[in-house]
Amino acid sequence: MIDNLGAYLSRRNFLALGASLAGAAAFAPRPAFAAAAAKPASLNMLYATSEADSDAIKAALPDFKAAFGFDVNLETMPYNALQQKVFAELASSSPYYDAMIVDTPWMPALTNKIEPITDMTLDSELSGDLDIKDFIAKVFFDTAVFKRDASNQHFPATDTVDPAAIKAAGFEIFGLPIQANVLTLAYRKDLFDDPAHQQAYKAKTGKDLAPPADWDEFAAVAAYFTDPSKRRWGTTLMAGAGDWATDDFKTLLAGFGGDGHMIDDKFETVFDSPEGVAALTYYADLIDTRKVTPPGTTSASWDNVATSFADGLTAMSMNYHDLSLIPTVKGSVAYAEIPRGKSVGPHFGTWMLSVNSFSKNKEWAYRAIKWFTSAATQTKALAHQLHPTRASVYAAAAADPALSAKFGNFYDVLGKSLAVGVGRPRLTNYGDVDRAIWVAVNNVARGAAKPEDALKKAAGEVRELLKQAGYKAI
Amino acid sequence: MTAHGATGELKAPARGLRLSRDAALGWLLMSPALLLLATMAIAPAIYLVYVSFRHENLLGPGSAYVGLQNYARVLSDAGAWSDALSTLQFVVLSVAIEMALGLGLALLLNRRLPETNLLTALFILPLGVAPVVSALVFRVLLDPAYGWIDYYLQSWGLIAEPIDWLGNPVTAWVAVIGLDVWQWTPFVTLILLAALSGVPSEPKEAAILDGAGPLALFWHITLPFLRPFLAIAAVLRVIEAFKTFGSIFVLTGGGPGASTEVVNLTLYRIALQDFDIGAAAALGLVFLAFLSIITSQLVKALGRNTDILED
Repeated sequence: MIDNLGAYLSRRNFLALGASLAGAAAFAPRPAFAAAAAKPASLNMLYATSEADSDAIKAALPDFKAAFGFDVNLETMPYNALQQKVFAELASSSPYYDAMIVDTPWMPALTNKIEPITDMTLDSELSGDLDIKDFIAKVFFDTAVFKRDASNQHFPATDTVDPAAIKAAGFEIFGLPIQANVLTLAYRKDLFDDPAHQQAYKAKTGKDLAPPADWDEFAAVAAYFTDPSKRRWGTTLMAGAGDWATDDFKTLLAGFGGDGHMIDDKFETVFDSPEGVAALTYYADLIDTRKVTPPGTTSASWDNVATSFADGLTAMSMNYHDLSLIPTVKGSVAYAEIPRGKSVGPHFGTWMLSVNSFSKNKEWAYRAIKWFTSAATQTKALAHQLHPTRASVYAAAAADPALSAKFGNFYDVLGKSLAVGVGRPRLTNYGDVDRAIWVAVNNVARGAAKPEDALKKAAGEVRELLKQAGYKAI
Repeated sequence: MTAHGATGELKAPARGLRLSRDAALGWLLMSPALLLLATMAIAPAIYLVYVSFRHENLLGPGSAYVGLQNYARVLSDAGAWSDALSTLQFVVLSVAIEMALGLGLALLLNRRLPETNLLTALFILPLGVAPVVSALVFRVLLDPAYGWIDYYLQSWGLIAEPIDWLGNPVTAWVAVIGLDVWQWTPFVTLILLAALSGVPSEPKEAAILDGAGPLALFWHITLPFLRPFLAIAAVLRVIEAFKTFGSIFVLTGGGPGASTEVVNLTLYRIALQDFDIGAAAALGLVFLAFLSIITSQLVKALGRNTDILED
């Protein structure tokens, strides 16, 4: 065709025509989002209650209305109900919710139902103010970047988020991260700073009392503070039957030199390794032998341990959120990164805001999630304990004395922990895999099984589950 | 209908036409109920059977007919059998304790005392509390760090160290069954209390004249009268106990390990967390078949025991 065209056009005319077409293309609006869609009367958004700090989003709603001229009707639900609602809405192709929050482990099953927004992020008119490179790259890739027909695959990590590179590699962006949760170590600053404790600890161990930098120190500090007669224990652990037990275990697994993802990209189980056995042995040892955890640890969830710490029962606690003490416990809280071992890899999982592919207002839903995840909105939401997903917001948090007064060094530690965090494996049936592992962790923690046996049994179950889900070891 | 057919009147054309109109009217009148039944019960049941033979992916491509694969998976899963056993254990123990305690409470409350009405009202209270709320309250009460139960047991010197009720399979079952007993014993009590008020006084008076003691009175007079009501209460409780979900889900979540995982929890997980509808349908139907056998036996027993009411 070009050959034929060449027969009718001189070289000069051909170049002129080419330049004209290029110019027209450059100045013409992008076809996909050419004309702004009609502004809706309102948008419906589904959100998590406490797991993603819904108060922060609720507080932003008036500003949203002022900026856009219409309301976002926010519905919040606790975790289990939210998951069912999200899956049921998408399974029934319901257009009711325009935007919804999605947790990382759900996403592998939802890539055919959540709207890819890569093209929207590439649209300069629609996304001129997105500043996508400001998102913490690791968080962004783990949370929002998936391959639609091979949802187990990870986009090769880079330092910056580049939608064009993501698209070129066959991946898509399925949302914008809104709340980054990662395990951090909260500790009682008043106890650690107490000269009497510092002297006693030095006398007992020969070392200075400080937030533990490695797992040996963690055990030593926990043992020092444990005094059941004073109703005080060293640390909480989330060893109850539930996802939280897996999170504790995978954090230790990474710390002991194993792969914190637990299942590698070849669909092989890697948690039943010598590192896994060492990690679980250490974990059970803290509970059963050293007894540095409060009663009820083997049935404790993440919110139980938050309560135990708040009630002043422990000197340290690993959790996904910032913690506070009840007024009768006169003390203060500070944060440290999770201790290191051979390596480090605190569990992390981030929530993202996504566009429902059945929404009648996709473009406006995208504009809304862009606004809610913007640096300005996230910065404002810091006061309501949102865990930001943008680097600039962490910088803003560090520079704000009011936030430091309210949350201490939480945001600083949160940002540093995210940089070394390890996410979950990407599996459509992660819920079942997760359960097989937490049952093993819980059984070992309460002394009902040996670490080797429990992990071996769990690995067998996980392999069967992977087979049932259609995953074949590569 | 059989009687009409036996008379031979159907052979007369006019009569037959009239009967046919009657039948048509009958069907017409029944049609709303039948339509409702078909829509709400029969169609979903047929769909359930249909999806149990499929791998049904509601969230993407890949749905396919898989034959008996879902059933094979369910029936070969040691975990599913263990869950079924746990469910049976829970039902038998809970209902047995509730029947015994319910009977005892009904006998106590049947005494005409001034406090009886107040006590009856108090005993009924647990029935009005939602199972999830009850479970949350029990969770707090049983917390080894700040729960009342361990606190008082320690204060009275009955235990040296707090018990992690939900961290040990035996004590977790005690908690689960204890919660069910607390919630449902009043139901049994109410039924039996109503029954006791209907026990005739004449046979008792005659027996007392013949020298019968309280135990003999209970065994030979009261209990036979209560038998049909005990059977009704037992059948209703067994059916309800098999359906228990919310309280166990909140109280133990199936833990510690998987020791209090009952079939309903597994069904919830497969259907509403994994969204594996095919496998969930297969498990549900197997469970339904199992329940049907038990329920039919219970209904037979109920029929035998309620004969006395028809006399």
